[in-house]
Formats: sequence, C-alpha cells, structure tokens
Amino acid sequence: MLKMTHLSKVYRTEVVETYALRDFNIDVKEGEFVAVTGPSGSGKTTFLTIAGLLETFTGGTYHLDNLDVSNLDDNARSKIRNEKIGFIFQAFNLIPDLNVFDNVEVPLRYRGMKAPERKERIMGALERVGLASRAKHYPAELSGGQQQRVAIARALAGSPRLLLADEPTGNLDTQMARGVMELLEEIHRDGATIVMVTHDPELAARAQRNVHIIDGQVVDLAEDPRFHTAYAAAAGQVRG
Amino acid sequence: MFAYYLQLGLRSLKRNPVLTALMVMAIAFGVAASMITWSVFRVVSGNPIPWKSSQLYNVQVDDRGPQYDDPPNEPPEALNYTDAVALMQAHKAPHQTLLYDIGPSVLPQNPNDLPITAYGYATSADFFTMFDVPFQYGSPWTNADDDAHASVAVISNELNKRLFGGANSVGRDVTLAMHTYRIVGVTNHWDPKPRYYDAYDGMEFYPDPPQVFIVFNRAIDLRVGMTGRNNCGGPPMHFSSDEEWLHRECAWIPFWAALPTQADAQQYKTFLVAYAAEQQRAGRFHWAPNVRLRNVTEWMAYKKVVPSESRISLFVSIGFFIICLVNTIGLLLAKFMRRSSEIGVRRALGATRREVYAQFLMEAAAVGLAGGVLGLLLTVAGMQGVGLLFEPDVARLAHIDVSLLVTTLVVAVLTTVVAAFYPTWRAAQVQPAWQLKSN
Amino acid sequence: MQIKPILAAMRRHKAGTILIGFQIALTLAIVCNALFIIHGRMARVSRPSGVNETNLFVISNVWAGNLSDHETAVQIQADLDALLQLGSVEDATALNSFPLHGSGWDNIIRMKPDQIHMTTDSSIYLSDDHTLNTLGVKLIAGRNFTANEVQALSIQTMASWPVIIVSKDLATLLFPKGDALGKQIYATNNNTPSTIIGISDTLQSHMMDSDDNAFAYNAVLVPMREVGSGYIHYLIRARPGQLAAAMREAPKALIAQNRMRIFYANDGEVTFAKVRAKAYERDYGMAVLLVIVSAVLLAITAAGIVGLTSFWVGQRRRQIGVRRALGATQGDILSYFMTENLLIAVGGIVVGTLLAIGINLWMVTHYGVAYLSGSYLLVAAIALLLLGQGAVFAPALRASRVSPIEATRTA
Repeated sequence: MLKMTHLSKVYRTEVVETYALRDFNIDVKEGEFVAVTGPSGSGKTTFLTIAGLLETFTGGTYHLDNLDVSNLDDNARSKIRNEKIGFIFQAFNLIPDLNVFDNVEVPLRYRGMKAPERKERIMGALERVGLASRAKHYPAELSGGQQQRVAIARALAGSPRLLLADEPTGNLDTQMARGVMELLEEIHRDGATIVMVTHDPELAARAQRNVHIIDGQVVDLAEDPRFHTAYAAAAGQVRG
Repeated sequence: MFAYYLQLGLRSLKRNPVLTALMVMAIAFGVAASMITWSVFRVVSGNPIPWKSSQLYNVQVDDRGPQYDDPPNEPPEALNYTDAVALMQAHKAPHQTLLYDIGPSVLPQNPNDLPITAYGYATSADFFTMFDVPFQYGSPWTNADDDAHASVAVISNELNKRLFGGANSVGRDVTLAMHTYRIVGVTNHWDPKPRYYDAYDGMEFYPDPPQVFIVFNRAIDLRVGMTGRNNCGGPPMHFSSDEEWLHRECAWIPFWAALPTQADAQQYKTFLVAYAAEQQRAGRFHWAPNVRLRNVTEWMAYKKVVPSESRISLFVSIGFFIICLVNTIGLLLAKFMRRSSEIGVRRALGATRREVYAQFLMEAAAVGLAGGVLGLLLTVAGMQGVGLLFEPDVARLAHIDVSLLVTTLVVAVLTTVVAAFYPTWRAAQVQPAWQLKSN
Repeated sequence: MQIKPILAAMRRHKAGTILIGFQIALTLAIVCNALFIIHGRMARVSRPSGVNETNLFVISNVWAGNLSDHETAVQIQADLDALLQLGSVEDATALNSFPLHGSGWDNIIRMKPDQIHMTTDSSIYLSDDHTLNTLGVKLIAGRNFTANEVQALSIQTMASWPVIIVSKDLATLLFPKGDALGKQIYATNNNTPSTIIGISDTLQSHMMDSDDNAFAYNAVLVPMREVGSGYIHYLIRARPGQLAAAMREAPKALIAQNRMRIFYANDGEVTFAKVRAKAYERDYGMAVLLVIVSAVLLAITAAGIVGLTSFWVGQRRRQIGVRRALGATQGDILSYFMTENLLIAVGGIVVGTLLAIGINLWMVTHYGVAYLSGSYLLVAAIALLLLGQGAVFAPALRASRVSPIEATRTA
C-alpha cells in the first residue's frame, strides 16, 4: 500500500544542508494499522507530509498503491490526495467559515461528485462518527472531540485507501481521546489502512505495528541503544 | 463548480463586511468616474458621420501668402467668396457645397407674436445629400434652384412645429430677414455632434440643431447677414462697403467636396493645385500653390475639436481608477493571505492550483460585480451632475444608454478580476503542507 | 527606532510594501497635478475684469426688421436715450462685445504700416462716450470720446478710425516707457493709423480661450456703432439697489421703441454676475471635478493603508507578542509601525514626484500647460506623509495593545 525505499529529504538553506529523512525505508501493507513513533524532531512529521504527498522528497522512491509517485506534477498529486488519502490533523483543520456539512463536502467537491451522491456520502460519514444531527453547526459550536470527529468524517467521506493521522488525539483530553481512538480502531476493523504519527506510547500500543523513527531513519527498537534514552526523554514530555 | 465558488466567495465577502465595502466602493468610485468622463469624451471625440467620414473633404486654399499663414504654412481654414464661388462653378467633384452661418429673424404667422431668430445656413443643394440630412416632408432644393438664385428654404422640424404646428408646410411661405421664401422641405431632427461641417465657426457643440437653410446665391444677393467667423488676417486692405468686403480675401466660407475614392481625392487635389497656379499666373496670388484637402476625421483633429477639459478629465479619471485598482489589489492580497490556512487545508484535501485560482477569482469577480452595480448607480447619479463639470453645450450631449451600462459592468468585473490575478497567484502558491508543519 | 529590522521585515512583505508605495506614488502624481490645474483654473476665475460688475446687466438684441445701416444707427441712439430716461438706470452703452463675452472682434495690433507680423492682439470694442462710465472703468490718462466722434460701422467694413482709447495693459505693452498717450498705432487691417487719446484703467478683453491668456487685458475702444451685423449688446448700469427694477423696465422700454427686435434666448437679459459665471463655467467645472477626484483619491489611499496595515498587524500578532514579552513597550510597537509607514511613504513620494514631473512634462507638450512648481510637490508630499501617518495610527495602536501572552499561543 505504502512503500518507501532509500527515501531521503534534505532541507537546504544558504549555509547548511539538513537531512530530515535519510535512507528511509518503510512498507505498510494493505489493511494495516501502523503507529509511527519517535522523539521531537526525529522526522516523523516530515515522513507524514511526504506520505500524504503534501511535500516532495529529495531521493529514493515512493510507491503509493503500487503507483510510483516520485515524479508526479502538482495537479496529479492533488488528485491522488483527493481520491486516495484521508487526513486527520492534530489541530483538526476545519474551515471555520463552513458548517459541518460543508466541511465534509470539501474533498467531494474537488472530486466533481454530483450533489445527491455527495449528500449521501456526507450523511453516511457523519452518522458513522455520530454527528449527523450536528450537520448545520459551525466548528466553533462544537467541542474539540466533536471537531476531530468531523475531521475524521471528512477524511472518511471520500472512501480513501489510506488514512494519515497526525497526533489525532494531541489536542484532546483523555476521555475525548479515547473516543477518537475507538473510532479509528473501528474504521480499521472495517478494512482501512491507517498510518498514525504519535508519541503517546499508550496510543501506539493499540496499533497493530509500531515503527520508530530516530534522526530521520527507521530503527529496530530492540537493537538500537539510541532509542532507549531518546524514547525515555520523549515519553517523559507531556506534550510537544 | 461555478455555483460552489460563487457561494464560497459571497460567504467570504460577508465575513469581512468592512474590507468588502472598501473594495466595492473603490471599484465603484473608480469605474463611475471613468464612465462619466467617458460618456462625455465619447460624444466629443466621436465620429459624427462614420459611414462616409473618409469621403467628405474640407477644402483650403492659401489666398493671403505664406508670410501671413498662422500657423505657419497652413492656408486659412475657410475660403473667401471669390474662390468659393469659383470652385463651385468648376464643379470638379461629384458633389460640393459651401456654407455660411446666418441668424435671420423669422416673422411669426400670427402678426401679434414677436419675431424670433432662427440660426442656420446659407448653402447649396448638395449640402443635404453630402451630409445625409433626413427629410420629414418635401426634399432639398435642386442645383437648378442654386443656379436660379431661387427664394426657397428648408426648415427644421423644430422650426416647423413652432411656425406651423408640425403640419406639412411644403409650398408655404416663410419670412426670413424680411424676405419671403417658399418652403421646399422640412428636415427630420438632424444634429450630428460634433458639428464637423461648421467647425470653422466654432459650432462643434452648439446646443440647438440648425433651423433654417436658404440658397447661398440668393442669400448673397439679399446680403443676408453673416453671423459666423470672419477672418481678414491677410495684408492690410481697405474697404468701405459690404460689396467691397465680399470681394476681398477674407476667410468666412467653409467649403466641402464629396470624393468617394482615394483616386477622386488625388484628382481633386491636383485640380486645386492647378487652380491656385492659375491664380498665380493671373497675378492674384504671388506665391506657390498651397492647398489642403482634409477628410472629416483629419479636419476634426486639425481643428482640435475635442475640448482639452474632456481629455484631461478622462485621463484623470483613468488614473483615479488605476489607483482604485491598486488599492483593491492590496486589500485582496490581505484578504486572501489571511486565509492561507484555509487554502492549505483545501490543498491538502485535494484542491488543485487551478481550483484555488477559480475560487478566488470568482470571489474577486463578485467584488467587481458589486462594484459595477454600485458604480452604475454612481454613474447615473453623476450624470445628473455632469452639467456642473462641463459646459452645458457639451454636458447635454452626454447620455446614458445600454452600451454605457453594459460597459460599466464589464469594465468593473474585468478589471477587478485582472487586479485579483496577483493576490490569487499568491494564494495558489500556498503549500498544502504548511498547516501540518505549523504544529 | 532602529530602521534596519524594519527594512528587513519590509523585504519579507515585498508585495504589500510595493503596493502601498505605488498607490502613494500614483496618488501624489495625480493630486499634485490636480492641485496645479485647480490653482491655475481658480486663478483665471478670480482675475478681475476691470468692470464694476455690481448693478450691471446686459441686453443682447437682434434686429428683426430690415433696417438700413443708417436706420439701425438711429434706432440704437433712440434706444439708449429711452434707457437713460428710466429712473432706475444710471447709464447705458451699446457695444459689439464686452469683457468675458467669449466672442467678439479681435484684431492684430501693429506699430508700423509695413509690419507683417503682429505686435500683439487685442479686443476691439465698438463703443461710445458712455462706455467707460457704464462699465465703471476709470480713465487714467487723456480724454474720453465725445458724442460727435461716434460713427456708424458695419463689421465687414473695415473703416479707419482716427481716435481710440486703449486699456492700461495694452498701453504699457506697446509703450513700455509709459508715453502711449498721443502715439499712433495700427489696429485695423488697413493702413490708416489711430491716435491714442485716452488710457483706461484695467479692462479685460472678450477672449476667454486659455490660448489667448497673453491678450487677456488688451482692449481697444473705438468710437463706432455696430450696425451691419444685425445685433447689438446694451450694457446697462442700474442705480444702486434698483437692478431688478431696471432689468424689468429696460426690455419694455426697448420694445416700446420698436417691436421688430429679438432678445437672445440664451443671454437676453442677464446680470453681469451671470456673464461671469458662464464665462468661467469650464474652469469652475474642471476645478470642482479635480477637487472631488483628489478628495476621494486621498480617502481611498488612506483606506488602503488602514486595510493592509491591519492585515500586517494581524499576521504579526505572535511576533509582536514575543517582542512585548522581551520588553518592548507599547510605544516601541506603535513607533515601529509608524516608522514602517513613514519609510514606505517616503519611497512612494520619491517615485510619485518623478511620476508627477513626467505627467506634467507630457501635459506641457500636449496641452501647453505651464511647468509644475515645486511648491505643489511639497504640499502634496506633506499631505500624503500626514495621511499615511494618520491612516496607520489606528492599526498601529491596536498592534501596541497586543498582549505579551500572544507569544505563548500557537499560530
């Protein structure tokens, strides 16, 4: 489903070159629920933005759904994002000017879907996250947990092959976080592939598989001594 | 998608009413100022007879010598009596006419009423065909009437209403400057602006159409007073009677020739040069032939018919409009960039750059349309005030018509969309990753 | 206030900076050229005619009957006598044209009979012994015409006239040493000279075109009656306080003399105040238009500055919060934005000044306007600086009130 080989990402400024990812290899199979963990600045967010085709990379290859996405132009990347990927952001990223219904509708609009089908999908997605009754509400009128459910509904409405979540519970309290997590597990059980970035060990533990990134590389947790100190430090932080 | 973007645009505009109002007002003021001055400009600079402006030629012959030319090398702007009559008799163009301004008194039909003045022209039969004068009743007089110095007249339908209540007055008599003329024709309303054929007398924007036309030869016989411009700017001359004045080199008779093709014009010019050369041989002119043949557009340009006020105010208004647009660019930039997070999310959710362009240009078009509608109202209101800004003669010519209204809206929307290109380009540059990384 | 960090920040907001600067530049260019034109037009409007315009009015008369030249001359004299009989009338005169009228007779003035090019150009007022008194123009040297000197003249008949009165400005122009009185000049197209018997105080010509500005105060009074052209203007001075009565009675008195006459529809009986208004309506209209345009322009530019600065403040809230947290006072933040605007305005003014001069040079070549004087640039520049500072003040004040807590918030 998602396969990166020898992938690298370099940020260049006038003075220094910084490797955000270096010889990065990962292979997520269809239907997997993978948690990506790692300390701050390890490159996990960079990985996610590249995986989501929000950013280009410097070297290596990236196959998404068996398609080489290395050299696609901006339009083609937009199209893939729209059709194959669903995003769940830490800060929800709902558009404040639009009500719940219209927010969920955004990706469907860009897909050029007809109005009746759009409506059916939106209401379906909202029912799934338990917010069908709030369709006319604006984001500001909802709690954080509800907002994240709307964001999840927006990600689900287009039936993406891949769900990318960036600290989906990062802005929520424990009880709301649990609800969101249960929802994700349920979506996974229904067959979706989910890649979730988190540094909450408890959350990571609920995924099928954990991938750890340190200094821009995937490491085998058991063998790498760097992990023990770095992970302990990260776990010690409350939140970034 | 069109409706979706329009809906998004309107929603966004509603969110910042003050900013939106500012932009709409800037566009409205700019477009209204431009349209009001344009409405005046298009009249004063318009071609009054587009279908044959390249076939009608004003004739000039230097009858006073190079040392008196003002501006240098330019013959006087009208002919003297001797040359005008000679060119008429030569009859080298298919049609030619000559004219001078008259303002005879008109005796009322009812002897108890006071007399009135009717302004018009002493001219020849070809005047009516050359300048396409429409007739309500009757017809122009004939070339034979010209030759016979006939006491016939053509009157305007305005004068016909005043004298005869609008009835067909062909065959009836009218008393002009105490002489009786038989009416042969009544024109329909006819008042081309600018009045190119009499720019010599400064009549370009005279408010009322000409009321009366009489036979030039008859008018000369009766010494019907000339109310136009008389320029005796040549060498010192002495005369003590009207008769002597008539035969001196004073410019007062505009002369026009209808020359359908370039070849005709070339031929006529050759004839004019030959005529002037003949005068030189005869000892009347002591200088080489200096003649001009200018068609309607060239003549209006030479006479600087467009008032400089009209031109300057048009330029000022356009400058004003440009500033309004620069202002709009700035405000749109602020408005669009303030929404860069929304753009980032939309991009992440799969909006292509094109779709971002479409959304924001549509929003700008909505601003432009609102500006256009408000501008339309301001234009209509402003037109009432045009009289304050321009001479009444010119101001009354400016009018609102469908083409002005459509132009106002189209200009407002198009310019706003063009102005929105840069802010929209900036909006489309927003990276989809931005929002993720800010966390 | 440190300028370097401001410049650095401006470099980050190039587009907005350039837009505001450009808008200020264009506004300056247009406003100072507009001010220049307004001032020029108002100077024309406020120039004196030399005529005492209160209590003066004009009746423009066209002859309807078929009078001979001689009969016309007799009729004019009878008309004037009838007008002077009226209790409300102080004096009256018959003229072919008058100051501010726009149309009339102008003739070139020559000093020698064989001179080809003119020395200057002047209005020729066909007038009489009552003209100066009726217009309220003083004779400052020599003598007035006598009633016997006034002859009849058809406008096409370029008769000669032995005696003339010239306006002060024309006398000085022709005889700079001040010895015009008694000298001979050539003011007709024939070669008989005219002797200057009197010099009047300031008297404006009939010519109103701006092309004729050089001749605006050239007037020659000739003791002649205009009889051939079919029309005559009666200028009538009412006794103080009796203008309305005189304007009512005078036309009736003329009709009673002879009803075969027409008073112009456009300017039949008008006060001289109306003559002045009509003469300058183009100038006045132009000035009004430009005042409106300039005012709206300044308002729009100010609004643009408020809009963009507000945006910048909104964008930099966090940065402002950090500065505040690091110890910047409210005054520091305020002066930061004020200085930023000052720098942009100065840039815009430099560009705008060049633009203004360019526009002016273009108008000099195409419309023959004068060269722009530096004072207009200075006034417009100061106005725009103040406008910019005024417009930026409110958003800058809002910026200065940003709480240091903003520093801790995420964007």
